[in-house]
Amino acid sequence: MLESIRVKDFTVFPDAELNFVQGLNVIVGENGLGKTHLLQLPYAVMALSAEEGRRSKGRPPTKALLQTRLAEKLKGVFRPERLGRLARRRKGRSRSDVELKLTEPGTSIGFNFASQNDSEVVIDRSPKRWCSQPPVFLPTRELLTIYPGFVSLYDGYRVEFEETWRDTCLLLGAPTVRGAREHRAASLLEAQIGGRVVLERNGRFYLRQVGGSNMEMPLVAEGWRKLAMLVRLIATGSLLDKGCLFWDEPESNLNPRLIREVAKAILGICRAGIQVVMATHSLFLLREFEVLLRRKEFKKVNQRYFALRRGGDGVEVSQGDHVDDVDPLLLLDEELKQSDRFLEEFQG
Amino acid sequence: MTGTDATEIWEGSLAFSFPDGCTATKYDEWAFYRRQFQSVAGGSKAVDLLCLTDDVAWLIEVKDYRQHRRTKPSCLSAEVAAKVRDTLSGLAATGANANERCEQAMARQALATKRRWRVVLHLEQPAPPSRLRESAVDPAHLKQALKRALKAIDAHPAVVDRGRPPAGAPWTVQ
Repeated sequence: MLESIRVKDFTVFPDAELNFVQGLNVIVGENGLGKTHLLQLPYAVMALSAEEGRRSKGRPPTKALLQTRLAEKLKGVFRPERLGRLARRRKGRSRSDVELKLTEPGTSIGFNFASQNDSEVVIDRSPKRWCSQPPVFLPTRELLTIYPGFVSLYDGYRVEFEETWRDTCLLLGAPTVRGAREHRAASLLEAQIGGRVVLERNGRFYLRQVGGSNMEMPLVAEGWRKLAMLVRLIATGSLLDKGCLFWDEPESNLNPRLIREVAKAILGICRAGIQVVMATHSLFLLREFEVLLRRKEFKKVNQRYFALRRGGDGVEVSQGDHVDDVDPLLLLDEELKQSDRFLEEFQG
Repeated sequence: MTGTDATEIWEGSLAFSFPDGCTATKYDEWAFYRRQFQSVAGGSKAVDLLCLTDDVAWLIEVKDYRQHRRTKPSCLSAEVAAKVRDTLSGLAATGANANERCEQAMARQALATKRRWRVVLHLEQPAPPSRLRESAVDPAHLKQALKRALKAIDAHPAVVDRGRPPAGAPWTVQ
């Protein structure tokens, strides 16, 4: 689980430290302020650690391995032309410093790279152990419909998709491991979407509806497909106790009714012990959280909010335990400015 | 100033009826505020009404967008917050220095620690001409903006109108 990130001169951030909670972590801010970067960075590091842990067969991390593999993973996730492009742009050379504290003992890591680097980072703090479980990244679109053949396409050709898509497709395709806890967590979401998510032998995903008939995923509404991804990831054991989910704009392409369902699903998995780190542009979704978090069933879910704002020297981060403790909340400001225009135009 | 008997106070075209047992006043018409406090620090503001019950001191600001639209909705929370802040300091000065005994006494009562502060924005709006908006200004948005501005004074400010009085408030509005 992610405890904190400290970055210096990374992309748009001159100097920022973010402290996360086990539970719900929400990043807000207008476009272009680096919300997605704050999901991609910890994801890339944690995913790489878990991948190498799986391959290492018990061997501990080495600096030599980390410095090249971490550079590759960052490039795969962010897709810059070279690694150094992730250092904050300024005249002359610049250097990015990154420190990630993770709650799993011995897995925290610190590294840096300069703007002219491409294939290696410098490890400042070497982890003693690999992460035991891969994190999950959900991009703004659902992936169940592109799943058939996507991983082999990605691995066989040079395609301009972020590596997060490939990683998540791999997790979606893993076999289901239904223990009692997975069953409990998945069954709540299955009740929401009205069926189970199954991967058939033809390599395509279907929604097996309560009556028993299969509906192919492209015919299922996009909102339900997003929730279906969660169902599948829980059923395969990828989203389990102590797991970490990064979700970029869960509300994208959804109508308000489905945003309500997504809000409930997100708090449901937080309650099940999964850390959620998400970015959003939806005041409606934030309000839905506010309403649900007052309910007894979600009262114990910890919350943390981060607001990004453009400062004189780059993007600054404001953070707090309630959405009203962070500043600015541009989503709200823009709603009120629309009221100004409405009064002026319709009732002036 | 009104006493503890039932009373009615007009604010624009709205009549606020306060029942027996609470004390209500047009704070922004107090002599101490008008003559002495209004000019403090280059200009101090005031909320419209002050109402005292046994355990609450209600600070009430009234806006009627059917009549005037001097303040844009996006600036309203900052304006109300400044008025509340100035009113609290104005009450402290009134309690200490006012010549009018009744103003001084009520200010002291308002400042008594047994009472907590509640902030109410009474906002009347014109009928909406569009099905896309239930009202020109969504009270939920305004309430959140007020809450963000006033949380050190009242973490749960209310945005109300004639149809929706604040929970626990003793008055009615016609």
